[in-house]
Order: sequence, then structure tokens, then C-alpha cells
Amino acid sequence: MKPTSFRFSSRFVLMVSIFGLSACTHTSHEPANTVHLFSVGKIKGLDPIFAEDVYSALESGMAYEGLLQYHYLKRPFQLTSNLAESMPEMTADHKTYTFKIKKGVLFQDDPCFKATNGKGRELVAEDFIYSFKRLADPKLHASGWWIFEGKILGLNDWKEAQAKAASVNYDAPVAGLKALDHYTLQIQLTQPSFQFLYNLAMPFAMVVPHEAVDMYGQQFINHAVGTGPFKLAEYNPNSKIIWDKNPTYRHEVYPSEGEASDQAAGLLADAGKALPLSDRVVVNVIEEDQPRWLNFLAGKLELVTIPKDNYASAITAQGELSPELKQKNIQLIKWTNLDVTHESFNMDDPIVGKNKYLRQALSLAYNQGPALELFYNNQGLAAQGPIPPGLSGYDPNFKNPYRQFNLEKAKELLVKAGYPGGKGLAPIEYNSLSGTTERQIVEYLSRQFDAIGVKLKVNSMSWPDFLAHIKSRKGQLWGFAWSGDYPDAENFLGLYYSKNAPPGSNDANYQNPEFDKLFEKALTLPDSPARTELYKKMVAIVTEDCPWIFNVHRLGVGLVQPWMKNYKPIDMEHTRYKYYRVDPALKK
Amino acid sequence: MFAYIVRKLLNTIPILLGVAILIFVGLNLVGGDPTIQMLGKHATPQMYEEVRHQFGYDKPEIVQFFDYLKQIVTFDYGTSYATRLPVSQMIAHGIGPSLSLAIPAFSITTILALVIGLLVAYHRGKFIDKFVVIFCVFGMSVSSLAYILFGQYFLGYKLGWFPISGYEFDWSQRFEYLGMPIIIWVAVSLGYDVRFYRTAVLEETNQDYVRTARAKGLNERWVFFKHVLKNSMVPVLTNVVIEIPLLILGSFLLESFFSIPGIGSITIDALHNSDFPVVRAMATLSSILYIFGNLLTDIMYTLVDPRVSLK
Repeated sequence: MKPTSFRFSSRFVLMVSIFGLSACTHTSHEPANTVHLFSVGKIKGLDPIFAEDVYSALESGMAYEGLLQYHYLKRPFQLTSNLAESMPEMTADHKTYTFKIKKGVLFQDDPCFKATNGKGRELVAEDFIYSFKRLADPKLHASGWWIFEGKILGLNDWKEAQAKAASVNYDAPVAGLKALDHYTLQIQLTQPSFQFLYNLAMPFAMVVPHEAVDMYGQQFINHAVGTGPFKLAEYNPNSKIIWDKNPTYRHEVYPSEGEASDQAAGLLADAGKALPLSDRVVVNVIEEDQPRWLNFLAGKLELVTIPKDNYASAITAQGELSPELKQKNIQLIKWTNLDVTHESFNMDDPIVGKNKYLRQALSLAYNQGPALELFYNNQGLAAQGPIPPGLSGYDPNFKNPYRQFNLEKAKELLVKAGYPGGKGLAPIEYNSLSGTTERQIVEYLSRQFDAIGVKLKVNSMSWPDFLAHIKSRKGQLWGFAWSGDYPDAENFLGLYYSKNAPPGSNDANYQNPEFDKLFEKALTLPDSPARTELYKKMVAIVTEDCPWIFNVHRLGVGLVQPWMKNYKPIDMEHTRYKYYRVDPALKK
Repeated sequence: MFAYIVRKLLNTIPILLGVAILIFVGLNLVGGDPTIQMLGKHATPQMYEEVRHQFGYDKPEIVQFFDYLKQIVTFDYGTSYATRLPVSQMIAHGIGPSLSLAIPAFSITTILALVIGLLVAYHRGKFIDKFVVIFCVFGMSVSSLAYILFGQYFLGYKLGWFPISGYEFDWSQRFEYLGMPIIIWVAVSLGYDVRFYRTAVLEETNQDYVRTARAKGLNERWVFFKHVLKNSMVPVLTNVVIEIPLLILGSFLLESFFSIPGIGSITIDALHNSDFPVVRAMATLSSILYIFGNLLTDIMYTLVDPRVSLK
């Protein structure tokens, strides 16, 4: 065997010589304070109005900014100004917001600014009006149109008028969007909306200069000409994006206040320092778990979320870091995601959609405990309702009567449903994705329902086919997840609102006039005990009607290198990379 | 030969039409609804209808099919739904990385496999032959995913010989990143190719003319290299030439695991996103390249085998 192994290894050595390899060469030209991050998905583009997926949104947030942002350190989540000088003035009827725009903010230098020979011009209020109109442009079909749809006075009319016109006229006025002067923006709403300010902190509402859109046209999606902290240095959306510190970025500083624990965690050490804290951010597109995990272990990435298959090797049974990782001074960080996973019943289906007792019985027969361990490494909270922890309306003491595993009660309800022991009930058609984990979840679900005599007929399919099935109301049950767009329970309760029927976010197509009435009433109220009470009533309705089987609110589990500074999870803030830095001395 | 080529090219028209029907029906039946993917999770029925109208999905199926045929003829597949960029631009960007991986990997594999295949065929029945055949069977039995996982862990992470994943457009660094995927490509393909070439050569050695040559008392090496080798090139060429045009399409798995922004990786994403223009373009391109590969093989036959003439 010796000659064989020699030949085998010598071939590798030969290959290494041929390619002259060194795994570290690429880092030699980088500034010492370069942060290496990853994106799980390819970047679809940098135009904020299409920033539907989180990966594209994060990249847009490097170069573009909006009026508002989330405070990086404070919890619960709190809005604060970004390009606005301060939080807006609001009229007593909650319908008109007036924003003062920061003076002296410059767009990044770019050849599109021909009048100034490529020097970025100053941001003005009119830029926001232009950017908001792009969301409504009927030729663009912006993914983010929903944040303004029906909310800004006259914007829907503008959209309709432009749809009929041969070309879109951005000079046509919109009653609800006014630049009172270059630094004052007034937005008038059709009715009070207490979620509207959250909408303005989303990537869709980031500001772009019309010069760049005009010059680059269809290729604007490959350019980034914002006011943000980073300037695009290299853009390979399928492999790597490099951002360098924007030399014309205004003076913004790292926050000096946060949660009580932030001081001890070292998160206030950079308080008052100018942003961005790093000279360069490199975002590697790494779609597969293994290379992402190994790159982190090799010190090529500053942080990582633990892949499911590597969890046992990284975290002990006690929920602590493995000794090997501890020895490397890697930090373990956990956080609660604003999300909920669930099984949705097809409420249009003549069997499961019209039989409340059947849905309740199935909900009771599904034991969440083992599923949490099997599929989430116990990093989740058994959901009792749609609202995740951390939001008004979430009640930690609430126990959903149909989510307390009880086979006897489930069997009783099945009798009430007209299917004693499952007799007379055809196998329930379950739409499932064809991935390994999804197949395992289906096996588990089948076993649970089998215990009360209910069979599943599984239809495995690809993601596009899965979405098409939901849209066309095929199948009786399917698994889904929802991640919050902003920290308000309205974003979760809207998943039951009849006007959000498919292809919208109400995938079950739940229709309940009483629920709708409460939902619409809640929309008119600010965050208050009265609104929280309405939220609880809505949760009670969907608990009883059971259009979903609630699964889990997932916990995020991440690892951070010892040299990575200022990492605090805040998924909703898409400009967060400006706070990150590395300590080059520790990274050596 | 010219007439043959023209006739062969004309024959591709009905083949392409058949392929186009298959692609169109297949995508429309199980390809999902691209409109839902485009609009995201907050779509409204009005937005849904508007987008369907803009992209022509509200037209009768037959009209949509003729639109697709027009795309094939004009090589203009429109704009990707996912990236909102022209499909031709996406393909142009992906070809470089795919070929950077495929050309060296394919060349190394072919040269190594030919050399080893000939060597073991020449020494048929001896220890080296048996050993290589066993080694090839072992190599073929291991899935390509296992090679990738092993390579990334052992060669990339443990030994640090290669970057674990990534890609550089800069030529000075490109092959640092492509080294490991090329080695894996070679390792995955070598077993099959060596066995194929060995069999092709051995089949020739059993032919009557070889026995005649030996009966004449010709030197064994002369028989092997002068007669057997030339004649065994026909199946070898079939295997090699037909694959050359398809190299542009890259490797789905390697590109995905090594973050190589090639055509394979773009195609996988397009399938995942119901990105019909990209999927249609890639499927049509594959068919055209396959047909082209066949034609090229036929022409190459005439070069290595004087008995073959193209009429």
C-alpha cells in the first residue's frame, strides 16, 4: 500500500505546485481593519426598491440610507433618525409627518453627477419624493410597493395615471409628498398609520439620486450611488462584494447608550467614534453550509450562524460552546428572532377549511417538544400564537389550549369533527418541499397524526411549485414561516387579514369579518394598552379557529471571532455593518 | 462534407423544435409561477395581474410558445426575473468562471485518463491493470459530494493548501481558488474515463486485423501504437469531443459548493427562482451545444478513420 499512498499524495503535491497555491494570498492587499462577512444567497441587485430578500437588502444598506433607522443597541427596538435630523413632527390627526433632512449630506462621487464632474451632490428633500415615486412606478413593479400602497395621499392615483401614460412622468405631483424646501419633506397619509414610520426604516424607502437612475438605466441595479457609509469597490453578485469606506460620508458616530448589559459586553467601547468603524467590508457569497462553517473555523469569516449539522460539534448538551471553540475565545451569541413557523390549513378546502374541530384535533395531536429537539436543536420556543416574544401583544403566560399535546382530547375532537378514529377522512394532502429536512419533518408529522388515525398524503415539490400550489389553493396543509418586517404585531396579525389573501401574505386564506374589524380598528391606534388588548382578542380568535398549527419562534445562534467587535444581532437594521470592526492585533 | 454539414444543421431545426416544446411544456407544468417569486410576500392580486400582463403570461399558451420560438431564433431571451438583467449579460458573465474551471479540469482528466487507459490496456491482465481497475471502481463508487466535503475539510481547512471556497476574477489569483475544484473534478471523472478508454482500446485489440498483424510477426508495440491506438480513437473522440461544447455549462455542484459564479450556479438559482427566461435560455443553449458537439464528433471521425466519409 505504501507506493499507492505515496503516488496519491504526490499527485496532490504536484497539483499544489502547478497552481502555486496559498490560501491566504488574497488578504495581503486588504486594509488591516477589514471585516469579512458572508451572504447565504446570491445578491439579486443593489436597487433598494427591489430589496425583497435579506441578502440584497443588506448590500443595499451599505451604500444607501433612509430617513430613519433602528437604534443599534437599544431593546426593545427603537426607531431613530438617520438622514432625518430628528424624529418627524406629526400633526394631531396622525396623518401628516414633517421631516427635517440633514444638511450637507452628499451622495457618493460617481460619474453620473455630470454637472459636478463626478463629485456627489448634496441630498435634498426632492430626492425622497423621487425615490418614493420609483416604488410606485408602474413600469418597475417594485417589490417594496406594499409599504406605501394606499397609505400616501395621491400616490395610488399617480401610479394609476402613469400606468395609462406612454412614459412615466416623475414631475407630476403627488398631493401627499411635498418638499417644503430643500431640507423639509412633508408626507401626508390617507389615514393614520402607526406602522408607517417602520416602513420608512425599511430598505425599500432608501433614497437614490435620479442622475444615477437616468444614467445607468437597466444597469442601475448593478450600481450603488447612495449617501451611505460604504462605497462599492467590487461587485460580483454571485461570489463576492467589496465595500470600502466612503470618503465623503458625513460625520455620524457610534451610539453611546444601549441596554444595561452592553457596557459589560464591550458594546459601548467605541461610543462616539466616527462611523463606519471598518475600512473595508468583504461579503463572500457562500450558499452551502460546510464551506461557510469551515471558513469561519479557519478565521476567514468574522461570524457565522451554526449550521444544523455542525450544531452538536459546536455546542455541548448543556448549551455551551465546545471546549475547542472556547479555547479559541470564540463567543456564542443567542437571540430571539421575530418570527413564527407554522402549518397552514387551506381554508378554502371543503374538508379541513370548513371543519374547525378537525383542525383543532390535528393541532392537539402535534407534539412540539420532540420536534424542537429534532429540527431546531432546542433553539426555539414552542409558539402559542402568531406574535413572537418582544412585541406588544405577546403574552408569555398564554397557553394555547390547542397546542398542549393531548391525544385523548384530540381523539374526542376528531369524533366531534365527524371522523372518529380518523374513519371516513381521506388522507390529508400535505404540500412539502423536497429537501432533506422537510422530508424529515413530514415523517414526524405523519407519525403524530397517525396516532389519532389521520393519514397524510405527501406531495413533495420544488419551492416555485410549492408557491404556485398555495396561490392556486392546491393541497390541504403545508408548512410555512414568517419573519417580521418590523417590530409590530400588526405585521404578524396581518397574516390573517382577508385583504392579504393569496398571492399576499395570508397563505391560509383565512377570512373572518370579526377579525378583520378588530384588525382595522387596531390600525388606527398607536402602541397603547387599548391596541394591545385588540391584539390579544385577535390572537384569541385565531387560536379558536385554528387556521394554523403554531410551531416555533426560532432562536438565532451565532458564533463570533474574538477579534470581531460590536456585533449585536439586529436583523431588521440593514445598515448595521457600519458599526462592525475587527481588532487587527487580536486577529494576527 | 459541406453538404453533410448543411444537411445536419437543417436537421437540427425539428430537433430544436421538439426540445423547445419539451422545455415550454415542462416549465409551464412544474416550473412554478414566476410572478409570485418576483413580487415577494406582500403581493396583491392587482400587482399579480399587472406583472403577468407585462411578461405576457396572460396570453394564450400558443402565443407564449411562439414568443419563445422567437427568442430562440433571435438569441434574445429577455430579462431575468430575479436579477432584472438581460439574460445574455448573465450568461456572458458566467461563461468565464465556468470555462476557467472546466477547461483545465477537462483537459487534465482527458490526458490523464488517456495515458492511464492506454497504459493499463497495454499491460492488460497484469497487476497494474487490476490495480487501476479496482482503483477506478472505487473512485466511481464515491459520490462527488463526498469528494467535495472531504476536499474542503482536509485540503482546505486542515492542510490549508487551498482556499476552502471562493473565486477571483483576477487571473493572478484565479487558479488559487480553482485548484481544489479542478482536482475534485479530475478525481470524480477519472475512474469512469480510464475504464472507458481501456475498454475502447481492448475492444480493438480483439479485432481480426490485430490478429493478422501479430500473425505477420509485427512487433507488439508497433501493433499497439500504429494500428490499435488509431482505430480506438473513434469511441474516444465520441466521448471527448461531444463534451467540449458542454463545458460552457459548467458544473452545478462544484460551482455551488465553491462559490464559483459560473453558468451552472446561475442555472441552479434560476430553477430555484422560477426564472423562466434564464432556464429557457440555458436549456436551449444545452441542446444547441449538444447538437453542435455531435456534429463536431462526426467531422472528427473523418480525420481519424479514413473509412468514414460524410456525404
